[in-house]
Amino acid sequence: MTASDSGAAPVVPALLEVRDLKVHFPIREGLIFERHVGDIRAVDGISFSMARGETLGLVGESGCGKSTTGRAIIRLYDPTAGNVVFDGVDTTSLDRSGLKAMRRRMQMIFQDPYASLDPRMTAGGIVAEPLDIHGVGAKRDRQDRVRELLATVGLNPDYAERYPHEFSGGQRQRIGVARALALEPDLIIADEPISALDVSIQAQIINLLERLQGRLGLAYLFIAHDLSVVRHISDRIAVMYLGRIVEVAGSKELNTAPLHPYTVALLSAIPIPDPVVESRRRRIILKGDVPSPANPPTGCRFHTRCWLRERLGDPEVCSAEDPGLRELSPGHTVACHFAEQVDGSAEQVQAVGARPAAGAAPAAPASRPEPPTHPQVPASA
Amino acid sequence: MALLSVEDLVVRFRTHEGTIHAVNGVTFELEEGERLGLVGESGCGKSVTNLAIIRLLPKPAGRIEGGRVLFDGQDLTVLPEAEVRDIRGSDIAMIFQDPMTSLNPVLTIREQMVETIQAHRKVTKAEAEKRAVELLAMVGIPKAADRLKDYPHQFSGGMRQRVMIAIALALEPKLLIADEPTTALDVTIQAQVLDLLRNLTTEQGTALVLITHDLGVVAGMTQRINVMYAGFIVETATTADLFAHPSHPYTIGLLHSVPRLDAVEGEELIPIEGRPPDMRRAPTGCPFAPRCAWRLEACWADNPGLRALSGEETVVTTGERATHRSACHNPPTAEEAAAGRPLRAGFTAAPPPSGAIDELGGTTANIDDFGGLVAAIEAEESPIEPFPSAAGLPLPPEPERRNDGI
Repeated sequence: MTASDSGAAPVVPALLEVRDLKVHFPIREGLIFERHVGDIRAVDGISFSMARGETLGLVGESGCGKSTTGRAIIRLYDPTAGNVVFDGVDTTSLDRSGLKAMRRRMQMIFQDPYASLDPRMTAGGIVAEPLDIHGVGAKRDRQDRVRELLATVGLNPDYAERYPHEFSGGQRQRIGVARALALEPDLIIADEPISALDVSIQAQIINLLERLQGRLGLAYLFIAHDLSVVRHISDRIAVMYLGRIVEVAGSKELNTAPLHPYTVALLSAIPIPDPVVESRRRRIILKGDVPSPANPPTGCRFHTRCWLRERLGDPEVCSAEDPGLRELSPGHTVACHFAEQVDGSAEQVQAVGARPAAGAAPAAPASRPEPPTHPQVPASA
Repeated sequence: MALLSVEDLVVRFRTHEGTIHAVNGVTFELEEGERLGLVGESGCGKSVTNLAIIRLLPKPAGRIEGGRVLFDGQDLTVLPEAEVRDIRGSDIAMIFQDPMTSLNPVLTIREQMVETIQAHRKVTKAEAEKRAVELLAMVGIPKAADRLKDYPHQFSGGMRQRVMIAIALALEPKLLIADEPTTALDVTIQAQVLDLLRNLTTEQGTALVLITHDLGVVAGMTQRINVMYAGFIVETATTADLFAHPSHPYTIGLLHSVPRLDAVEGEELIPIEGRPPDMRRAPTGCPFAPRCAWRLEACWADNPGLRALSGEETVVTTGERATHRSACHNPPTAEEAAAGRPLRAGFTAAPPPSGAIDELGGTTANIDDFGGLVAAIEAEESPIEPFPSAAGLPLPPEPERRNDGI
């Protein structure tokens, strides 16, 4: 029982609600007398909620805190501050047994199917382990349940006696999915579940996850760096940058009308497998690298690399004031002082690879002539 | 004469687990200043082809067992090691996926760049250093002169790859081979590096072989593409042709199995069934047959060579007019290519060779809790037929990852 629980019961309870979550990792110096000299602010105050059966995509580049967020939700990391409310229960205050019960309803799929499966356990043993730990069903029944789970993820149940090294990467990831399904959870946190897999195998796993969701009413928190994959599977998408959520919108809207300069740049950077589209697009090349989360920039964290700020003549407010998330249209929130300027800009139109047939003349005048990003090579020297 | 001409290249690895048939007769040419993409999944032989060209196959396991590699008229496969070393770096340069493992961690950037320049050019140390600063500035490293004294770990991933590009282009090579140069980088950094690579090779007229699994990357970067599968080139065309009229079932499969950013809402992904082949088996028949929806009986026994789609006899191998060729007995039609699956009425794929079972689809479990789920998934997951994949053999260990080198 925590303070937040004693408040009024929510009318339509969200399955998951994250409130001002912070996860800081201390930086220590010195051998014997360790001094706390600073913090890596991996996740620095994020809030979002998820409904039952929904897929929320959490997207961002490495180091933005998306994986840390996933791990803090399931309490693999202890949050530094903030609350994670899962089905009305604040998980940040749970004790061991409370956590165990909570984790029965919240499972995780990891990125690397080579590292996340115990090489000394059989596929069947790996899938049965959660059932054993939580004492679900009689021992005899568990065998059947394991076979059924393997079949569910498209593996031959007769392979239950085999060891992980006997499976390919895609099959191992299927084992990981079967294990996550074993306890019939409400929420699955999938942390880059396909990025270690071969291209032709990735689609197998995405389709499997989609079908399972349709049948079992699962909610997914789908964490990935690849916006085109996230767009495909998600209902809503939250974009993270340097420990903060900078934009949240419906999947379609985020891709057709992104409002944060970072989202626009991220979209424009994704190559599209079509040379015709590619030759028409102009990339926004962000300058430099992501700043260190130990010492994030003041004000808006993206201001050091922002193309819009440069365009607007470096307004003071960007480096002075931290923009909070604002709701610009229903369900579309963005953390940018000048998000209105993004809408309809040439960059926004270009980034989404919009066809010129749409007839959408760029609302904002292209303030500087941009060289074509894809110059033709002279036939040969 | 073409700058680079690879003729019927065969590369095998002798390991204690058997012979790996990595490259099984690859032929292609590259003109000066041309940008070629080599596309395929891990284990398809694209990186090994590259290593064989520059004679850097891991010894003693990897060997060129057939074919020639002509660079500027010289056969690199028979040239003495010392001469190959001269060519490497000065005429042919390389960039690898992981800049951290390609840069020496205990030497400063200055030492590594000066060493490269002085190894191939008769210049003083001061001149080499001046050139190094120019190069670092060219690849967009701020405060280039100050950063020369830094070690690789003091650079970020994107910056390290820039340093690699600077070193690779230091001697104005005629050919640059970039093996998954941006796979380890974030997407915004990838955009920076690709932009740089494109501009510099264009300015210097450097020919580029870009090896990648990412169809999006080659779409914007190359003029011509070879699609590789199981050590064979299965389709080759200009970039425009390949994406406008993909013809080999594997190419079509790849295009349909990655979600596109500009996809129409609700577009389904069509995965390629099964999994990549076990390269320890000597190839018989079409290597893609076990995963192919279009396969015929003939595909099991006979591996079709590359043939012009138009049926022409004369084949243009390079440049903008390169002939679109595909290695397939039963090429999908344009409608099928767009749909990603066979559409011909009455067409059924050939059955697998005797005794094969489906590795992923062979499920007969009881259906209780999940209420018809298994059957439904099976029915949905295999809009065509479930295809046998491993030919019923025990599954071998498969330690490779998506982005492996060789």
